Amino acid sequence: MEVTAVTGILDTTLALIFTWVGYKTTRILWKYTPYSYPNARIMAMEARLFSEQKFNELAESKTLNNFVINLEDSDYRDYLANLPSYDAESIDRALDKALAGIYSLMFKILPKRVNPFFRLLLQEWDVRNIASAVKAKIRGEPAVNYITDLGTMPQKVKAIADSKSMEEILVILEGTEYEEIYQKLLLGEIGVDEFETQLYKMHYSKLLEYAESRKDEEKVILKEFVRLRIDKLNILTILRAKAHGLKAELIKPSLIPGGTLNRKTIDTLLNVEDLGMALAELDSTKYGEIIRNVREEAERDLSVLDRELERYIRQRLRELTRFYPLSVAVPLNFLLQKEAEVKKLKAIAKLIEDGIPPERIKEIVGELT
Amino acid sequence: MDPIVYVSLGAALAAGIAGAASSFGVGIAGAAAAGAVAEDEKNFKNALILEGLPMTQSIYGLITLFLILMVSGILGGGFKFKNPNDIDNIIKSAILLGAGLTVGLTGLSAIPQGIISAAGIGAVAKNPKTFTQGIIFAAMAETMAIFGLVGALIMIVTGVGF
Repeated sequence: MEVTAVTGILDTTLALIFTWVGYKTTRILWKYTPYSYPNARIMAMEARLFSEQKFNELAESKTLNNFVINLEDSDYRDYLANLPSYDAESIDRALDKALAGIYSLMFKILPKRVNPFFRLLLQEWDVRNIASAVKAKIRGEPAVNYITDLGTMPQKVKAIADSKSMEEILVILEGTEYEEIYQKLLLGEIGVDEFETQLYKMHYSKLLEYAESRKDEEKVILKEFVRLRIDKLNILTILRAKAHGLKAELIKPSLIPGGTLNRKTIDTLLNVEDLGMALAELDSTKYGEIIRNVREEAERDLSVLDRELERYIRQRLRELTRFYPLSVAVPLNFLLQKEAEVKKLKAIAKLIEDGIPPERIKEIVGELT
Repeated sequence: MDPIVYVSLGAALAAGIAGAASSFGVGIAGAAAAGAVAEDEKNFKNALILEGLPMTQSIYGLITLFLILMVSGILGGGFKFKNPNDIDNIIKSAILLGAGLTVGLTGLSAIPQGIISAAGIGAVAKNPKTFTQGIIFAAMAETMAIFGLVGALIMIVTGVGF
């Protein structure tokens, strides 16, 4: 073989190898490097999540003073340090602030290509707060009892709760994405239930849109997370409506599009006679197993199913975390666990304030697990 | 290209690619180590050991660089394959390039090793009992680099000789 032919083959092979290796290496680095710092930090934080034993210790606090002291060696210490008084409401707000701190931390440490999703998740608290405050106003109840300090606009939410008239709320919401929907409510074009549904629909369409705009496993994880949450909301809406004997055409506008349940299943669910039949219909879906386990209880109290569905989402996120340790599944999983922890702590504080015996508190908190 | 270019390229790629890959690997694992230590200082020792694993590929690259330079005579004597018109010189210099390339490319295993180490550091931060398993998982990626080094040694010894 000619010398030039040999060198030609060698040069071409080198060029091909380097192009391929360069492309693959860049992709791998782009995909995983941004998650190495935040995910290791989050996993170290996961190690500090409370165990069942810790919850039992807290349940035995007897007074809220002891409850706060028991939390002194935890991540909540700074938020509970300067409480004006040790009552369940102050502790509740401090715990909300701690959770808001977690959301901010996620936003700060996660890669830029995914952190807006956590801001969107925080906006869900805005939706909840606005819907709750407006509903309370319409019922003539003090709205401040229904709002939390979480969200991207706590000042505005507080102003809504303190507002004197429905028109004042419109001024507060001016310039926000919620203004148009509230205007429709004020003009009487929609009712308060539809107002709430439209807020959630808008919010979940934004979450789905964002998830769809991502690539590879980020898209898979975010989409599954959002669709599972939509399923949970839709299932509970249908079942609650069925428990009250509502007809399909009344329930349908309240459903949020984009979940994993197919159209046929939803149509069948909407048209069944009662709650029992709706639960039976869900048996053939992926939620069948969890529904079978709590069917009798769920027929009496749907909050049981609410907890089970929440647990299912957490379990699915945990599975995704195992498959993708350097991905957005880790912060999402942690956030859900943290939310569950805060929920339990709030419950314990409230039960202690109400003078419930420790054994009963343990039982109630155990049910929340 | 002249034989000197192939030989130099072989030596440079062995140390260069493996070294770059090691730095990426250590960088990924190092970022994870910083995250774990930021939350709990007790993670330092375990994180440090896992972070250091992707460094070995750069050592293999350096060993290969010295071997190539020695057998070709660039180090400690005159260059042995000067004549570019001699096909034997082209083949021998190509073998040295291949040896360097083998170590360089298998040295890229330092990047996935860094990723495994980063995941391992996260796992250890959550549960310190997983440290040994984390080391074993990360060490798996090392085997490819070792195979590369062994392959390169065989190529150099049998194809060119000292």
